[in-house]
Amino acid sequence: MNLKDVLSPLYVWKRAFEKPYTIRTEKEPRPGADRYRGFHQNDTEKCIGCGSCAEICQNESIDMIPVSETKDGDSGLRPRIDYGRCCWCALCVDICPSSSLTMSNAYTWIEEGLDKDTRETFCFTPGVDEKPWDNDEKGYRRPDGYDLSLLERVEMEELSPAERVTSFIEMVKGFSKEQAKREADRCIECGICTATCPGHMDIPGYIRAIREDDIEKGIEILYKTNPLPGVCGRICTRRCEDVCSLSLRGEAVSIRWLKRYLTDSAEAGKYRDLLHDEVVSSGKKVAIVGTGPGGLSAAYYLLRMGHEVEIFEQNEAAGGMLRYGIPEYRLPYGSLDNDINFIIELGAKLHLNTKVGKDISFDKLYKEFDAIFTSVGLTDSYKIGIEGEELPGVTTGLTVLKAVTMGQDPKLGDHIVVIGGGNVAMDAARTARHLGVDVTVVYRRRLEDMPADSDEIKEAIEENVEFITQGIPLKIEEGANGKLNFIWGKAEMVDNGSGKRPSPVLIEGSREVMEVTKVIAAIGQGANYGWLEGETTKQVKLGKRNIEADRWGKTDDPKIYVGGDMFNKTADAISAIADGHRSARAIDSYLAGEEYPKDRF
Amino acid sequence: MKTIYEDLNKRFTMSGYKQQRDDLAFVTVDKDQLVNAITYLKDYHKFTHLAFVTAVDWLEENEFQITYLLHNYELKVDLGLKVRLDRDNPTMDTIHHLWKQARVYQRELHEMFGIDFPGSPGVNDPMILESWEGPPPMRRDFDTKKYSEETYDHRERQHIEPEDHLRKQLYPED
Repeated sequence: MNLKDVLSPLYVWKRAFEKPYTIRTEKEPRPGADRYRGFHQNDTEKCIGCGSCAEICQNESIDMIPVSETKDGDSGLRPRIDYGRCCWCALCVDICPSSSLTMSNAYTWIEEGLDKDTRETFCFTPGVDEKPWDNDEKGYRRPDGYDLSLLERVEMEELSPAERVTSFIEMVKGFSKEQAKREADRCIECGICTATCPGHMDIPGYIRAIREDDIEKGIEILYKTNPLPGVCGRICTRRCEDVCSLSLRGEAVSIRWLKRYLTDSAEAGKYRDLLHDEVVSSGKKVAIVGTGPGGLSAAYYLLRMGHEVEIFEQNEAAGGMLRYGIPEYRLPYGSLDNDINFIIELGAKLHLNTKVGKDISFDKLYKEFDAIFTSVGLTDSYKIGIEGEELPGVTTGLTVLKAVTMGQDPKLGDHIVVIGGGNVAMDAARTARHLGVDVTVVYRRRLEDMPADSDEIKEAIEENVEFITQGIPLKIEEGANGKLNFIWGKAEMVDNGSGKRPSPVLIEGSREVMEVTKVIAAIGQGANYGWLEGETTKQVKLGKRNIEADRWGKTDDPKIYVGGDMFNKTADAISAIADGHRSARAIDSYLAGEEYPKDRF
Repeated sequence: MKTIYEDLNKRFTMSGYKQQRDDLAFVTVDKDQLVNAITYLKDYHKFTHLAFVTAVDWLEENEFQITYLLHNYELKVDLGLKVRLDRDNPTMDTIHHLWKQARVYQRELHEMFGIDFPGSPGVNDPMILESWEGPPPMRRDFDTKKYSEETYDHRERQHIEPEDHLRKQLYPED
């Protein structure tokens, strides 16, 4: 043994005073780079639970789990990430439509206890399960100017305001095939729209059909939940577009125009070939009162279920408000007729000029048919409630619209005033502009409070309709040369506290006079139940606003069902169509001796 | 480069010469002549360095392609030699006698693509896939998801489709 052998173990000790190379990650963490892709952060207030992150994840590491309350446009689900599967690629951050999902630059997480379930240690819901990096500023964000989603719409060509007021030609030109496919490409198929649509149309499904250029399949999908797609492709209130997840950062997919593209691209005569399922006759008869969207929808589905259908309409043509309430430049009669004719061709017996309660009694229907579906809408225009309303020059929006539909001259003169801010008011005002009449709209509240579709308001302004907001009608007097003096006052908006909309209050002493040729009232409509008479209607209860019925439209008499504006609160075409579909299924179950349908839409 | 190729072309059956850059070219050689061609390039044209050996799976053509990249330090040029093999019987002559390190590449190709190099030392030993029981994972017909589902345990997903959930909550009866 030499000296070196004795000393060499001691050399190790010289290292004792040097800085160790060991990195103590727990006590002295080394931060990740500024844009490092570390653990996720989620702004749960911004997140709408659309599930695009879960969809794009290549490793199925994201589960959508229920966290908060479900509301319009928010599924209430939030992404939970399994870090045993996550590969930190950040596609979830890049696709996130709301930009709520980001990544911090934190990359270490130490958890005590090997006995824990891996679900507790490896998986968590960012933003819900609190973590130290929740509010870190650093980390990965989607870079500016880089986007997986196409945020801008393919522009829809329209007639210019100057062109369109000269006639009643449809103002929206519709998509070409290339435009439609490009627009369809934008959809990320989250399905928030389907859930929100009252009719639950499979929107991502038919948009996919457009992308794949399979028009027939698209039409087939449309008819599963909506037998008036040509109508809805033009005038739908499109709540789907309001909740489209792309609208959070960009423009919603033009769902309505894509639907229109499908119906415009298919030959009307070929629809029947697309319905593959066989219809087995049930031998039951159902009467339908009213040929608006609710009645037509119920008729279609009842026919498809094998029941005999007879429809009763008081006017000389079917369509209800679709025909007599919506102007031709928004919904050409040809498009409406296409949809209606197809339903009639399937075997519905249509009785025109037949008013139930006058030409045929409700009792008779009740006795002759196995079930009755009624959807007659809201037909009685509300009164303005001011002096002079009975003067001959005062009429309603619906009267004007119906006259124009029937090809009559509504005799408006050269300057009219329209009272109201809803869609009927806009339609009446714009119809008058198309007839070359000067129009002033008087509305009680502000422009942003108007219940009319924002597009309609915008287009009315483009067509030089004059708007007087916060104007309260006071009186109508006879003026010179057969004209009317419309007297109104300016209002101020009075705050009603949070959650309530402010109400207009007349400024004392304010009084303006406008000389007009006609006054058109369009401040809403109520129901008229005059026709609902007879022995057999005793069990049907009338509520404050509408007929009392359950969610299926079933009244206290299981033979009588209601739907449409006289039943639902939203009062639009798609809700009526959904009502018709829902009641048709309930009627089908009732006729088969079952209480309620078991399957969902 | 061109002159080297012309010289090669006189001696060996070659096709598809492609000059990718001034200092990089590729050429496809007959399978039987490959080792001869590489030896000739190494001994006479001073391509003394083997940069790498790699493979491509041409599934649709039922062929594998092996690419050998050689480097010449004097001219500072690279020449890639490509060879096509039958995918059903993927066997290639070894070149480990020319460059010792070739056996590592060959062992890797055997593991990842299932290409055999008879005589190459340790070619059957696993490199990273210890106790691997599936097909060679770099083959394009290898289904990663299927293999992982069959081989490993999974935490069950708790995923709920947003569309269904939203609809059930907003319209329970529909």
